[in-house]
Amino acid sequence: MRKRHVWMTAGMLLAALSSHTLAAEWNMPIGVTDVSREIYSLHMTIFWICVVIGVVVFGAMFYSLFRYRRSKGAEAAHFHEHTMVEVIWTAVPLLILVGMAIPATATLKKMYDASEADLDVMITGQQWRWHYSYLGEDVEFTSNLGTPREQITGDGERSEHYLLEVDEPLVLPVGKKVRLLLTSDDVIHSWWVPDLAVKQDAVPSFVNENWVRINEPGIYRGQCAELCGKDHAFMPVVVEAVEPEAFEAWLAERKAAAEAEASGVDREWALDELMERGEQVYGSICASCHQPDGSGLPPSFPALAGNQALMDDSALHIDTVVNGVAGTAMPAFSTTLNPVELAAVITYERNAWGNDTGEAIQPADIAEMMAE
Amino acid sequence: MASLPPKHRLQQGSADAVGGSDTHHDRPRGIMRWVLTTNHKEIGTLYLLFSLLMFMIGGVFALVVRAELFQPGLQLVQPEFFNQMTTMHGLIMVFGAVMPAFVGLANWMVPLQIGAPDMALPRLNNFSFWLLPVAFTLLLSTLIMPGGAPNFGWTFYAPLSTTYAPPSTTYFILSLHIAGISSILGAINIIATILNLRAPGMRLMDMTLFVWTWLITAFLLIAVMPVLAGVVTMMLMDINFGTSFFNAAGGGDPVLFQHLFWFFGHPEVYIMILPAFGIVSVIIPTFARKRLFGYASMVYATASIAILSFMVWAHHMFVVGLPLVAELFFMYSTMLIAVPTGVKVFNWIATLFRGSITFEPAMLFAIAFVVLFTIGGFSGLMLAISPADFQYHDTYFVVAHFHYVLVPGAIFSIMAAVYYWLPKWTGHYPHLRLSQWHFWLSIIGVNLTFFPMHFSGLAGMPRRIPDYSLQFADFNMISSVGAFMFGLSQLLFVVIVFMCVRGGKKAPAKAWDGAEDLEWTVPSPAPLHTFEHPPQYRPVEH
Amino acid sequence: MWKTVKSVLAAFFGVQREAQRREDFTSGKPISFILVGILMGIILVLILIVVAMTAAG
Repeated sequence: MRKRHVWMTAGMLLAALSSHTLAAEWNMPIGVTDVSREIYSLHMTIFWICVVIGVVVFGAMFYSLFRYRRSKGAEAAHFHEHTMVEVIWTAVPLLILVGMAIPATATLKKMYDASEADLDVMITGQQWRWHYSYLGEDVEFTSNLGTPREQITGDGERSEHYLLEVDEPLVLPVGKKVRLLLTSDDVIHSWWVPDLAVKQDAVPSFVNENWVRINEPGIYRGQCAELCGKDHAFMPVVVEAVEPEAFEAWLAERKAAAEAEASGVDREWALDELMERGEQVYGSICASCHQPDGSGLPPSFPALAGNQALMDDSALHIDTVVNGVAGTAMPAFSTTLNPVELAAVITYERNAWGNDTGEAIQPADIAEMMAE
Repeated sequence: MASLPPKHRLQQGSADAVGGSDTHHDRPRGIMRWVLTTNHKEIGTLYLLFSLLMFMIGGVFALVVRAELFQPGLQLVQPEFFNQMTTMHGLIMVFGAVMPAFVGLANWMVPLQIGAPDMALPRLNNFSFWLLPVAFTLLLSTLIMPGGAPNFGWTFYAPLSTTYAPPSTTYFILSLHIAGISSILGAINIIATILNLRAPGMRLMDMTLFVWTWLITAFLLIAVMPVLAGVVTMMLMDINFGTSFFNAAGGGDPVLFQHLFWFFGHPEVYIMILPAFGIVSVIIPTFARKRLFGYASMVYATASIAILSFMVWAHHMFVVGLPLVAELFFMYSTMLIAVPTGVKVFNWIATLFRGSITFEPAMLFAIAFVVLFTIGGFSGLMLAISPADFQYHDTYFVVAHFHYVLVPGAIFSIMAAVYYWLPKWTGHYPHLRLSQWHFWLSIIGVNLTFFPMHFSGLAGMPRRIPDYSLQFADFNMISSVGAFMFGLSQLLFVVIVFMCVRGGKKAPAKAWDGAEDLEWTVPSPAPLHTFEHPPQYRPVEH
Repeated sequence: MWKTVKSVLAAFFGVQREAQRREDFTSGKPISFILVGILMGIILVLILIVVAMTAAG
């Protein structure tokens, strides 16, 4: 116990020393959780160990290269083994490694202890967005890239948090232990926020656990770390850490909004209303594959504009969007979108880009279909 | 093509010097000479030229990636194509450039270093080479298929590479199968040659480190290539025959893919670095004019690394959700690998210590190898610390790490080997001044490209992204400039090799005054047939 | 037998004396080294597993 403490202190000391010499944008962030600080100190400890070994090894090497040049008349010696020296330079690194493994093991054990959490959040990776669900609170939403397309193509001034901004951030309370449960609907993603020192793969059919207790309020940004297809670069993570009271208030507000949305299912929607809502949904969810103008990216992502098969058969269209198509990149949106959004986006697709079917798909019909 | 490889004058000096004679009178001429050849030197040349071609193609793909990353935003290519480029770059460089280059060097030099007349299985040798052009033509052809080339990274994690993959993936699987067969056959041939065809009097412990490392590498290849074949076959079944090995919806396990892949993949990393250790262990003593320090330890450390390489695979999967015990196991075992690797570096330095050192181009590359490979080893040690890996994993820090061990590691060792043995292959020394230029441009380019990646990775830039947020812009710009510098200076390398084949300062049989191995007893250029009567090997006495 | 174990241990550690290596390669049978090597590889894995399980508690 005591030994570990000594190592930790040494690590912290080195870390403190180096935080002055290395600017933040050149190094791993210290972060805002206890775990992230420990990881940072491990990182700096092993870094300085490497630096010291490097100075010794490269020093000896360059001394030899310089001192024993033949152009300076160096004659080769004839020794070619020395068991004692070899044993020493094998044993010393071994001891250093054991010394390094001890604090690393301690930190790892902390990271793996996700028990007694105050709040559970389910994080689901989807191509190419994150879905957050506050378990037991009836609050869930999808978090999409907030950077407009023009900025990516270079047609607009890039914002400060280019590619690291979302439409709806994950809001978490500070000082509470939050358990993160990660899974995926399609391919493997990896949820990463450097300041929280959480990087965990979201694997389909698995639920991975991690946890975080944020010490300071603030906005912390990260992004998907595991190659997940074409828009891998465009699925950022933004965490907004707020005081617990503010968090409760936010949660209550979200619940009320969800109820209001649910009540919209039963009423009759006008075509214009659906189109307006559908355009928003299409822009944030569908456009990355099927393109803003509905032309798609065949053969992986079929065109929607002028797609006769879908336009002739509204039931097929609804089924495709709601349940997805097995064996292709088209996911089921029944978990991502609510009936109003589904109805709106299907209506939009059936009337935009010259499709002009004039049909308005009603949220109530979708809800009824999903209930079956 | 026919003008590039050395034209062996069949009669030249071979018979009297090494007791051989030319017995093949009606050899095919022109292109058929190369298609039908069973000569280890010609096949070695074919392997080396093939890998040079692949190195250039893979390099162009890398430059497409670096050009897109020169600035934030999408300028040149779309993300779909960007992913194809990163994937093809990795596959071509690993399977098409580095591995065949080492096999080519083995073909040329293993028989010469052990005093054998040829490889043990010459026809198999021809076959295993000609599988490669087939495999890589197939792989490259996926670029023009509908849906594009493989786009899931060279690690092709399922289900991105199965359920969500482009249709061309089946071709990719087939091409990996063919390349894998080629590797296995090549490895069998090398083992058979080393174990059976050593000159009378040469025991295993008398072999050069290059032969030793290749012997161990060949066993690694035979052990793990079937695992790769198995895993791609499972993918093939998932894609085309409705199985669910990796498909979660069918009860499969995507993480199983990663275990299988890295059980192949980690030894694969050592397949690409052990022969490099061997090359450097041959070159440094030559130019330090002093015997290799701790020969026995070098052999044992190589064996040790090879054994440990089967116990560390899941350190590539620290954030996939392994149980705590597994996480600890793989952290400890990975840290252990640092020990024998360190032993090697210390031995090279002890060889330099009190030597009589000169700095020929081969030596420059070998020294750069030791320094820059060690830097790659340091970042490897950092990555082994599992808690810290939660921050490093899948960032540019990892990209920096493995490029340090593969570019100034494996590829510099290949360059060093080429400069070292070109006099033996062509009879001419490579142009000294140009070679030095090539070295300095390469070493500056490499560091400019990959050193800033450590910083961008630590600051939070994930790998395999075509666009990035603004705080990474400076690092990426430097990397891109360095990459173009490195890439263009390799054209100089091609020029140097070409010039060396055509002419240059004549090299004697013993081209380097500190070189003691058997290959320096045959004339330069080495005649087509050497050691037809085995030389009597007399071990160096201590 | 003990000598073989010692030599294999040296190989795992990565350090060996020239004279001992010479001795091994002259007198020892390869198969005994391979068998002992595999056995000790398994023992190393078991030790690591035990250490990891103890550390994990």
